[in-house]
This record gives sequence, C-alpha cells and structure tokens, in this order.
Amino acid sequence: MRALVIVGHGSHLNGDSSWPVYEHAARIRESGEFDEVVECFWKEEPSMRHVLDTVESDDVCVVPAFISEGYFTQQVIPRELGLEGSVTKKGGKIVRYSGPLGTFGQMEEVILERAEDLMRGKEKRPGRTALVLLGHGTDLNKSSGGVIYLNAERIRERGIFDLVAEAFLDQEPEVGEVVAGVEAENVILLPVFIAEGWHTRETIPEDLGLTGEVTEREDRTIFYGAPVGTHPSMAGLIAARARDTLSNAEAEVVPSAR
Amino acid sequence: MSRAPASSSESVGNAAAASRQAFAAWVDETQDGRVFAQVFIRGRESGYELRHKDDVDAGDLELYEDPRSAREISRLTEAGEHRPLKSAPNLRRGWILRVPDARALAVAMNYLYPAAVVHWYLERGGRLEITSYRENAARQSGIYKRVQRLSDDGVQNAARACCEDDVCLKRTLWDVDDETALRMDRGSGEIPCPEPCSLFFSFARRARLFEREERERDASGLTPSEREDLATLMDAAAAGEVKPAREAEFEEPLNERRLRYRRLTLVPILRDGE
Repeated sequence: MRALVIVGHGSHLNGDSSWPVYEHAARIRESGEFDEVVECFWKEEPSMRHVLDTVESDDVCVVPAFISEGYFTQQVIPRELGLEGSVTKKGGKIVRYSGPLGTFGQMEEVILERAEDLMRGKEKRPGRTALVLLGHGTDLNKSSGGVIYLNAERIRERGIFDLVAEAFLDQEPEVGEVVAGVEAENVILLPVFIAEGWHTRETIPEDLGLTGEVTEREDRTIFYGAPVGTHPSMAGLIAARARDTLSNAEAEVVPSAR
Repeated sequence: MSRAPASSSESVGNAAAASRQAFAAWVDETQDGRVFAQVFIRGRESGYELRHKDDVDAGDLELYEDPRSAREISRLTEAGEHRPLKSAPNLRRGWILRVPDARALAVAMNYLYPAAVVHWYLERGGRLEITSYRENAARQSGIYKRVQRLSDDGVQNAARACCEDDVCLKRTLWDVDDETALRMDRGSGEIPCPEPCSLFFSFARRARLFEREERERDASGLTPSEREDLATLMDAAAAGEVKPAREAEFEEPLNERRLRYRRLTLVPILRDGE
C-alpha cells in the first residue's frame, strides 16, 4: 500500500494555515492514486511526531506543503518525522521525503492559473501588464527568495506578460516599491505563499493601500490575487511531487539508523 | 535513557490497522456505547454512530454520513473559534455522524482526536513510547530552543495550567524527566498523552519568558507582566467584560492557560507574600 503524507505548518491561532492542506489532501484522495492520503502539521494535530503511527501503508511519501527550501523543510520536518534523508526505512515502512513545492517544475503552471483566475472577467487598462511574484523573503536565509526568482524567470521565458518582477516583504526589492515602480499600467500581484494569513489578509493590503482584488491608482490598476498555495491545482502539484519522488524510488534505501 | 523513537510505529509493526480493529471491537463489546473523550460511540445494526457525549438523549441533531465530515465537526468550537488542540474539552454539540464500518469509524476518530485511537491501542498493549519533557525540549530549535531552560517548577506549573482535564482531556503520561514526576492531576480519560504537544511547548516558551522576569520584581513583589495581567484583569472585570483570549493566545493576559498558570505562581505571592 502507498500513502501520501502532506505536512503543513498549521497554526495555533486560526484555521487558515491548515485549510489548504486539508483541501488538497481531499482532492488527491478523490483521485484514488494513493491508498491513503494523510495530513499532519507542526502546530496542529496530528503532529509530525505521531502521524506515521496512523498510516497503514508500508510505502510512504512525505511531501511538505512549503514553498521554499529552508529551516522547516531541512531541519524541522526531517527531525520531527525521524527521517534520515530522502529515503528512510523505519518500523517496516519505507518513507520517502520530497522536496518543497516551489521549485518543482509544475509550480509556474499553478501561478499562471492563479493569475488567469484572478483576471477572468476583469477589465485591464490599455498598456502594459506586469506580473509581480511576491515572496516573504528574509535576509537570514538567501535560499528563501530563490524560488521567487526561479519561477519569475520560468514565466518570463514564456513571454506571456510584458514584464515579470520579483518582490518581497522582508528583503529587497520591497513590494511597495516594485508595485509602484514597475513600468506597467496593469500590475498583477500574486503572493507566492502556501496559505492565507496575517500577511496576505492584513499587512500586504494595508501597506499597499489595496481595496480588494482590484485597486485603481492614478497611473495603474493593481490586481491582487489570493495566495498561490490555496489554488486547487496545487493538489495536482503535490501529487506530481510525490509521483516524482516515488519514481526515483530505485535510489538506494539507506539502512535504518536504529 | 531514551525510550523514544521519533515515531512509536518503529517497534510496533502496523499498529494503525490493528488499532482500527481493536477500537471497533471495544465499541462492539457493549450495547451501551462507549465514551471516548467527548464523543459517544455506539454500534448500529450496520456500522457506527457518533455524537457529542452530552447529546446522547438529544433530538434534532444535524446528520452527517461521510466520516470525513468529522473534520468539519471538530474544526471550530461552539463559539466559532479555531481548535488547535482537538483534545481540549470544547468539541461542539448538535451533530450526529453515522459511518458504515470500522474503517470509516477510524477515519472519523482520526479527525475528532488525531492519532488517539492508535495511542489508545498501543498503551493497552504496553507499547506506547513515552518521552519526557526534557527529552522533547532537547530537540527544539529556533524560537522554541529557550524551552530547554524552563525550570522544573516551571514545567510543573505549565503542565498543571495546560494539561489537566479542565483544558485537555488527554491523560498525561510523561514527566519532567526520568527522575522527576509531574505532580498534577493527570486525568482519567481514554486518550493517553505520550509527550508534550506543540501547544504545550508554545506555552512553555511563554512560561520561560515569565521566569526571566524574576529579577525585575518590584517592591510589591510583582514582575512587569504580572502587574500588566492584574491590571488588565481588573479593568475587564470592572467593565463586566472578561472575554477570554483565544485558546493558544498566550501573550494575552486573559488567556485561560495563562490565568491558570498565574493562579499557581502569582496567587500565593498575593495571598501569602511568598
């Protein structure tokens, strides 16, 4: 039997963070591709510490519902699940660990679908259209912003938009400056976040003076989308991530550390 | 010293499948139904029926028939608040869930009380791995690393504030460390708690920050945050608006677990000057 375990951050304070994980899990479950699809969280239940106890399958693929490689995907998740690397044998199970979602090839498709959904039925100004990919970013971890640059480059190569720009909350280039300065009459701003939260609902709209999905400024219209991670097609990306990991399953199985 | 693999599945084979069967058999053993935390479960002619234990005789319950609707049932409190800890005694009432078989029962239970059935099963077989506060604290990193410095008394008080049945229905099986047992009412419910949870560590972090204020006690013997909590509580009480903060909002003076902690640590100072 094959199980897919999706790891979300979760939250002690609201359900926004775990919601997309449950929704994507439900969609993948419906597809019947895996015998079990199980959710677990850092801050909600079941915890990563206990989720494998609830899994009946002996072939388990763990996919982190995180955008970027970093502290959680490299330290917290492997530690809490007791993983030794990309393949771990434990308790009669083979547990394979996928990388985060943002670097996977299909991510740009999800971003484009989010943009398409946002723009459906909306009127643009005559002139240029820019897509701005917004990441959290941090000066503490250089790889955090990498996924934004990677996807921006992939989308830029397709030539769909007149401009594709990167922007961040906690590192340069700062989102307010990018949205105001990018040379376009239409600015499509998409948070490349896994879930709704304090930033997407409060700080970003407040800091940029957004009035909703569409904000008219004198020289431009700003279209603000929901986080990429809540888009239904993320479920397809998660399943594809797992499929990719399982198809590389010929890799050597590291002996259990115990 | 450690009895703790990261997951107890390591030594127990396929406990998940066995626990699902054992749990259904346990429910089947009696015609009267079983109470598991706040859920009442009984067998039907075919399948099982679940409802809130306080709704055993209630009519007019909202009927659900998909075991996964247990996720929706367990998501929010009666007041519409997020439930980060499913074993908190705040499961909402007013629903009835009918499921076709033991497998669906396990699915529903895993949303109502995640991992509880397998832990219940492992404990009955004497195979549940228990890990102490100190072992779990040693693993923490980032903003939680400071929980390693919480004193033994701090752990004791935090456990009494966060883990007794008034706030969590799990039966607390872990201790401060191998030599130091928790002195608390561990509860008597069906769900064993094998190690401190994420909510507990979040509170432990707050408790450690309280401990760091010790050197800032003023002439009346209060720390800055104790003064602030008393003032907030007084204001709220005088206005007749003591509105509890959210369950895990430990930075808020009117958080229930924070108030319980203050009762243990601050009330003795106020009453006896200790």
